[in-house]
Order: sequence, then C-alpha cells, then structure tokens
Amino acid sequence: MSGDMDDILQVFFQECDEQLQELERGLSALSDGDSDHETINAVFRAVHSIKGGAASFGLENLVRFAHVFESSLDGLRSGRIVPTHDIMKTFLKAMDVLSDLVVEARGGAGVDHERVAESHAELEAIINSDGAPKPAEDVVPQDFVPVPMDFVPVPMDFEPIPVEMDFGFDEPAATPDLVVSFRPQDAMYERGDDARNILIGLRDLVATVEGGVLSVTCDTSGLPTLHDLQPTRACLSWRVVLPAAVSEESVHGVFDWVSDVCDFSITHEGAAEEAPAAPAVAPVVAAPPAPAAAPAPVSAPAHEAPAAVQAAAPVHEVAPAAVTNAIAGNPAAPPRKTEQAASIRVDLHRIDDLMDLVGELVIAQASIEALSRRNEGAMQQELTQSISSMQSLTRDIQDAVMAVRAQPVRSVFQRMQRVVREACSMTKKDVVLLLEGEDTEVDRTLVEKLTDPLTHMLRNAVDHGIEKVEDRLAAGKPAEGHILLSAGHRSGRILITIKDDGGGINRQRVLETAVKRGIVAPDAVLSDDEINNLIFAPGFSTAATVSDLSGRGVGMDVVKQAILSLGGRVTIQSVPGEGTTFSLSLPLTLAVLDGMLIEAGESTMVIPISSVVETMMIDHRDVYLLPDGGNIISIRGTCMPLIPLAAELGLSKAPTQEALANAVILVVENESGGRAALVVDEIRDQTQVVIKSIEKNYRQISGVSAATILGDGSVSLILDVPALIGTAIRKIDNRSPNARTGLAA
Amino acid sequence: MTEKNKEDGVDAKIVKMIVFAIGDQEYCIPILSVREIRGFEKTTALPFAPHYVCGAINLRGIILTVIDLAIYLNIQPQADNPRRVAIIVESKNGVVCGLLVDRVIDMADIDMNDVQAVSEESSSLSGLVMVNNRMIGVLQLETVVGELVGDMVTE
Repeated sequence: MSGDMDDILQVFFQECDEQLQELERGLSALSDGDSDHETINAVFRAVHSIKGGAASFGLENLVRFAHVFESSLDGLRSGRIVPTHDIMKTFLKAMDVLSDLVVEARGGAGVDHERVAESHAELEAIINSDGAPKPAEDVVPQDFVPVPMDFVPVPMDFEPIPVEMDFGFDEPAATPDLVVSFRPQDAMYERGDDARNILIGLRDLVATVEGGVLSVTCDTSGLPTLHDLQPTRACLSWRVVLPAAVSEESVHGVFDWVSDVCDFSITHEGAAEEAPAAPAVAPVVAAPPAPAAAPAPVSAPAHEAPAAVQAAAPVHEVAPAAVTNAIAGNPAAPPRKTEQAASIRVDLHRIDDLMDLVGELVIAQASIEALSRRNEGAMQQELTQSISSMQSLTRDIQDAVMAVRAQPVRSVFQRMQRVVREACSMTKKDVVLLLEGEDTEVDRTLVEKLTDPLTHMLRNAVDHGIEKVEDRLAAGKPAEGHILLSAGHRSGRILITIKDDGGGINRQRVLETAVKRGIVAPDAVLSDDEINNLIFAPGFSTAATVSDLSGRGVGMDVVKQAILSLGGRVTIQSVPGEGTTFSLSLPLTLAVLDGMLIEAGESTMVIPISSVVETMMIDHRDVYLLPDGGNIISIRGTCMPLIPLAAELGLSKAPTQEALANAVILVVENESGGRAALVVDEIRDQTQVVIKSIEKNYRQISGVSAATILGDGSVSLILDVPALIGTAIRKIDNRSPNARTGLAA
Repeated sequence: MTEKNKEDGVDAKIVKMIVFAIGDQEYCIPILSVREIRGFEKTTALPFAPHYVCGAINLRGIILTVIDLAIYLNIQPQADNPRRVAIIVESKNGVVCGLLVDRVIDMADIDMNDVQAVSEESSSLSGLVMVNNRMIGVLQLETVVGELVGDMVTE
C-alpha cells in the first residue's frame, strides 16, 4: 500500500517539475512584458496544481506557501495587480522558493526558512496592496480549468445556423427557485476569466443539494450576425435556475471574483413565472462535429434536467463555449492543446535498450552487406537491392530512436534563469538572461550533463563578466547587464553560446595571475587566444575577492573537463569593453562518436575525430631521439612527444628508428591544448561508431576509453587521447624540462 | 561462498554442473551461470591485459573478454584443437565473460557434499569431485571473474 503511495508521490513530483517549468516559462514571458491572459492563466494553474497535489499528500509547508503565492497571482489574473518589474521579481523569487520547497518535500536539501518567510511576507504585501478582498477561494471550487484549455479549435468559416431552442421548463417545482441571471462584460474575458467558470461554480453548488437540478439558458439575443460579430465583445447572457435549497450567499460567492466585470442578479421565482424565458431563435454559432471532444461543461449534475434541454444539449453546450472562445480571441489556446496530447512518460532504460538493439541492427546489416559483396551469383543484384532498402530502413529507425531520446534544451536553460537571479542577488548586480533556441533538441543524457557546466559559466559571467553598475554606467552602458544564452545546430553538432556584454577578459591581469600561479613561465610570449584560454587552466582564478559564487579555484577548468568528457570543445572570444562569448560545441549524442579508424599493431582502433588536429607523414629529419629511447618530433617548430601507438599499448615492440622514419602520424590534442603525435600503421577510414562500455564486463584499460563494434562484428577499441598525451608528457617532463615549450597551456 | 554453505548443509545439495575439458583435465561450473556456448572466434587484443586474457569479443552488442582457462589454470591445452569453444558465463554480480575451453563434455548432477575441498576458499578451484570414476575440478567462478575485473575476491 505504501508502495503505491510512493509511486503516486513520485508522479506528483514529476508533475511538480513540469509545473515549475511551466511556471518559469510563464513568469519569464510576463517579465518580458508579454502578459496575455493565457500566460497568466498558465502561471496560476501551475501554482494551483502544485498546491492541490501537495494538499492531498499533506505537504503542509508546500501548501501554505503555494496558497499565498496563488492568492497573489490571483491579483495579477484579475488585473488588480500590474506586473511591474518589482512585482515580477518577487514572483520569480517566490518561484525559486517554491521549487526549493518541492525539493525539500521530496526529501532533498532543507530550505532556508528565513527565505521562505521573507518571500511569504513579500507575497502577502502584494496581496494586501491590491485593496481587493481576498479571493473567495474557499467558496469557488478549486478544480476549475480555464476554458481555452479544453477546447478543440473551432474553425471560423461556419455560417450562422438558426437553431430553434425551446427552453420552456415544465418542471413541477413547488418551492420558489433561485434564478440567477448574469451577463459578463467584455472586461471579464479580457482578464482571462470565463462564463464557464461561473457555470461550473453554480453547478457545484447544486451538486451539494440532494437531487438538485440546474437549468441553464443561454440568451443569445444579444448576438449580432457573424458579419457584425466583434470577437472581443461579450454578447451572451445566461439565466440559471437553481433549487431553492441553494443559499443566496453561496451564489454571491461564485460571483465574488467577477463582481466588478459581470452584471448579475439573483431573484426568487415560482416555477410558473419563469416559464417563457426567451425562447431564443437566434443565430447560434454551432461547432462542427467536434462536440465529442469538448467536455460538457454543465451537463454533469444536470442529467435529470428537462428533456428539452437535454435534446438541445449538443448544440447548447458547445455553442456558448465556442463563442466565448471566439470572443476571448485567444490564439494561444489551440497549440497548447496539441502539445499536451503528445507526450507519454517512458522509462529511460527502455529507450536505452531500444537504442542498443538498433545499434545491433545497424551492425548486423553492415555485416550482411559485407557478405553480399563477397558473394558472386545470379541473386547478387536482388540481394544488393533488398539490402540497400533495409539499410535505409535501419537508418530511419536509428534516427527515430534518437529523436525519442532527444529533448529540447529548454529544461536546462530555464533552470539557468534562476542561477542568474541568485548570482545577481549575491553580487548586487542587475543582469537579464536572454534565452535563444531553447527548442534545440539534444540527447537526453547530454541535457542532464550540461546543467553543471552551464551553471558554472553563467555564475562566472555574472560575477566576472558583467561589470559593477558604476563601471557600466561610466563606460556608457545600460546599468542592466545582458547575458545571451543560445543554442542551435551547427553541422551535426550542437552549439551553445554564452555571450555577455561585460568588460571582456582583462588579458593583462589574466597573464599576471597565470605567471604568479606558475601556470606559465614569466618570459612566455602568448597570443591573445592563448591568454584567454588560460582561464581554463587548473587552479586559476582572477577574481580579486573570492566571492561566495565563484573564485574557489575550481572553476573553468572543471567546466572545460566536463565539456570535453562529453566530447565537446570550448572556445572563447573576448573583446575588451564589449564582452566575452563562450562557445560550446557538443556532439548531438553520447551514444555515437565520430572517429578515425586506424591500424596499429594488427588491431583496428578508433580515435575520436574531435581530438585529431592533423595527419601527416613523418619527415625523419624532424625526429629527435632522447637518451632513453623516446622520441620527440618537431612539427613546424613545435615540439611534441612521438608516441608509437602499438608499443605504447603493449601490443608490439617499440619500432626501430628506420620504421619511424616514414610512418604515418596523427597529431592529437587534449583539452588543455597539449599535443602529441601518434604513430600508426595506417589510417583506414572515418566513420561513426556506437560507443560501448568495456568496463562493464572488464576493468578499465589505461589509454582506452571505450570500445565499439565494427561492421564485421569485431570489437575495436576507442582510444583515450587525453590519457595517452598525459602519460607521454609526464614521461618527457621527467626527462627534460626544456622540452616543455609548447606543451604547457 | 555459496558452495561452502552448501557443503555445510546436511541434506544432499544437488547442483547441475556443466563439465568441460581442458587438455586431459576435466572441470565443471554450475549450469545456471552459463549463458551460452559458442564457437571460439577471433578476439581483439586488449592493451595491458593479463596474459590469460585472449581479448574482447562482441556478443550481440555486449563487449566481453575471453579468458583462456588453459593459461589461467596453467594446463597444457590440447594441441591443434580447431574446435575450442567459449562458454559465456555470468557471475553473481552481473559480469559477463567467456571461458575458453577445449571441449564441453556433458552435464552432471553433483552433490556438493561430495566435493572434497582442496585449498582455501579464495582459490579458483573450490574442490574436486568424483563422477563415474572421473576426477572433476569444481571451478570457483566468482574468483576467476573477480580477478578479471580487477577487484580480488577475498572471501
């Protein structure tokens, strides 16, 4: 039983994550001055859902905070509060607190209660400032869904259809019923509210009464012809007959939220008097065959309603809603609907398994192809044909599975908003993070692994990149700093850039620090680019004051390592006084790698293409023999160790000097720019390989990062270039310090 | 170890074993740890591997290493045997590897109480047992695999 509960709780937390994302998206849009009703509704809905879920799990802290948050957002929703810059800041902070509370409820790190209290107080201040009565949340049912959500888009090319609607009630009601008539004003729809909410509220009141029946009549007499129809005008009014047992106060409660934008009246009437209530013969906008999809908003408790109403129901129920939709003129509604319909949760492992199987399929099909080439015969041509059609199929399947694993970077990018906000509040700077290309899709594993490096880089950008406000103003820049985080696809890779409009890298200071820390020699002559790259060196930190945020000495080098371990590269462009741009180029997936197939010591191996700088033949005049038998090669004046690959891996004996003389070498580079030349027997091909773990069933091999399976089904090793270079450089370091020129960076 | 516990048990502990030959010696391992038996194929040499590791093979997408049991147990293998097979086994902690043997003989029900211990438990051989007047060594799979993945089983 508790297991079930845990499962449900997990689902709740997953939903929380989604809601928080929705909230983040909405609030960001609002901060950008994009305050349409749908956005406000979405924000409200997100907080509301979290509150509702939390309440059912008894997560009190979360409920309490979500409640006050919701109440303050309601002010925004009803237009009482104008989303000023300060108010949005409060909301954003409240969102961070809310997500902290969710983490806490999940059993994660505890929250800073002071911060919660502070945010709580700020929200209350907002609620109290609007001067309006507290929203009647206890009266209005909380589970309403704003209308546009549920509606199937209604094509506007319909013709007015005259519909005969006879709403005569022949109900033998003895007690005087409560008759509520209401007519929403245009302003009500402008706020994102809807007559449907009122109807649902009334319905729920009736539901509390034993055998209560709700009769609804829509007065369409105010509706002009389609030709004259103004989509933003409210034209409909409703007349609702409630059982007498429903108290007048509770009806008032339903109208509490809209009392200022909706004319309404409550009267007591005998059943006899209310009969001829406008048998409207009016052009009613009827929805095309969609009604099945549209939920019946009023019908649920009204099943026992008079037959006349029932008969007219399909048209009757859909019509007001469809019109409302048109009146509200809300273009955001239809796309939201489709977005929601198209997602299911699948365990990542299953997709991984699928991916593995597809990898197998690709390999199997490659080996069949290889076989068919060998086999001569009459069937040859047909065989080749069917293999090639299978080939395109497998490729399609591979792409499809990759697409399943793909995820927009939005989830990471939105988390960065918070990082920047917190960094701002710590550094007392005002920085706006602009996002671009959040829809760019990358492999899911990559998305997860991007969070840490990006967090670090953005903190750095706020802390070191953007100048202090005084300095910015002095430099003639706006006080508010801007950071642009963008993502996009570039030739089969994903390119993420972080661009700030700060002061740029102070190369003078970077160089001084690097010299002071012993990272470079005092007399070293470095290019601008090399100096920029010094900030990635381990143990480097230029911030004069070690702040809470960055400057712990582990910074950019960790970032660079992380990006490299993902098979990516980092580059920096910096213009003094104008800002710095970091560009991260990453592979689209971690499951496949672009590699160079080489032969060494009778084995075929794979070298990741990202680490290969160039390939060339050795000129024996450039090779220098070291006393212990090692070799150094000078390539255009740069010295680097020469690694005979097969011998280095213990697969063959060290080659003779003669064998080295005309060998093929690959110049490879590690993350910090250290280079080495690998001697190989032959370069065979360039190909994409599927990465397979070798450690799973064996141990770690030094110099080898993973393995792959070639087209012929044989295993091939993927070389760990940074490790190979590291070993080689360490060897040389022990021998002669002079050889370090060009290796250090 | 499980075998030890079984040995201590009073009741007969029948374990189904697969019996194979390396040279003129016979060994067995529990059949439940065997995933499949396949013909020996070309392996990919691994750098810095122990001398008894032939190399890596691809088993439908899983990369695993093959141990030459003859070298591992220091036995003279059959000369010129083109029909050597790899028994693919899976250890208790999920490591899959191949054991290269000369040939698979048959299966046998072995009562663990009949196994005579030959050395300490950490050894690769947990004991010897007589089946139909043949002396069969009971191989301690966990020790062999533990050595392969690099963390020595000390139990």
